[in-house]
Amino acid sequence: MLENLKAATFEVLETMFFIFPEGLEEAAGLFHGPGLRAWVPVEGPKNFRVGLTLPLTLAREMAANFLGLEKDEIPPEKMEDVVKETANMVAGSFLSKEQVPEAYNLKPPEALRLDLDSQDWQENSHHLLLAVEDAGLEVFLEKTK
Amino acid sequence: MAYNVLIVDDSATMRALVRKVLKISGLDLGECFEGANGREALEILEKNWVDLVLSDLHMPEMDGAALVKALRQNNLWQTIPVVLITTEGRQEVLAPFFQDGIQGYIRKPFRPEDIREKLQSILGEAWVPHAGELEGCDF
Repeated sequence: MLENLKAATFEVLETMFFIFPEGLEEAAGLFHGPGLRAWVPVEGPKNFRVGLTLPLTLAREMAANFLGLEKDEIPPEKMEDVVKETANMVAGSFLSKEQVPEAYNLKPPEALRLDLDSQDWQENSHHLLLAVEDAGLEVFLEKTK
Repeated sequence: MAYNVLIVDDSATMRALVRKVLKISGLDLGECFEGANGREALEILEKNWVDLVLSDLHMPEMDGAALVKALRQNNLWQTIPVVLITTEGRQEVLAPFFQDGIQGYIRKPFRPEDIREKLQSILGEAWVPHAGELEGCDF
């Protein structure tokens, strides 16, 4: 399951953003400063969410690549919209790769700001930690109620 | 003949991206309208002639499925080609839309060439051969 989540993430980042993440052990040490978390609720026989967490610096770079603008031209709301859309694409690609039944539906993405220094960063069976140059990128799959 | 296109997606950045890809794709592009959901799309169609609809599937208020049904039930709009641009890749979810008469779908994530190739196959004669050079383009 995590392999498909990883493949979905790589597919989205490489195709839409020309960003090439790496799975590095030291990725856990790359989460600093203000960050953004975006996720897509998936509703069906079981509810879960697929999402990602990243520093604002990386979010800004992704938005600049996505929109073909300079980094300092990106308004905060566009940055958030791009990260939500990224979560949406990762979730869609993941569901396809997992061949999840049609009873599962993607809901509109949500997002929140957070301080990355106040969180613990550990890779496990449902959280994948990646490195994009000197920034961390968490991709997660979590059960919800 | 310039083609008027309606882009329907709840993400403003995705609409901007699709608009940008259309501009550089070589399509003889006329007016480019945008709606954030199916309801807004129908409001635009009430006032404007559109030759092609590019629509997301999962949207709040009125989703792509409801939009496709509304278009097919309207005498004026039922022949407008519709292409879904969606994160959805499950064939069993997409199959009913073909029964409803969509012309195709482009799965996100996409390359600019994916949009060009799909639209070229639908609107062949609308292409401007000398325009739009997507090779290596960083949209």
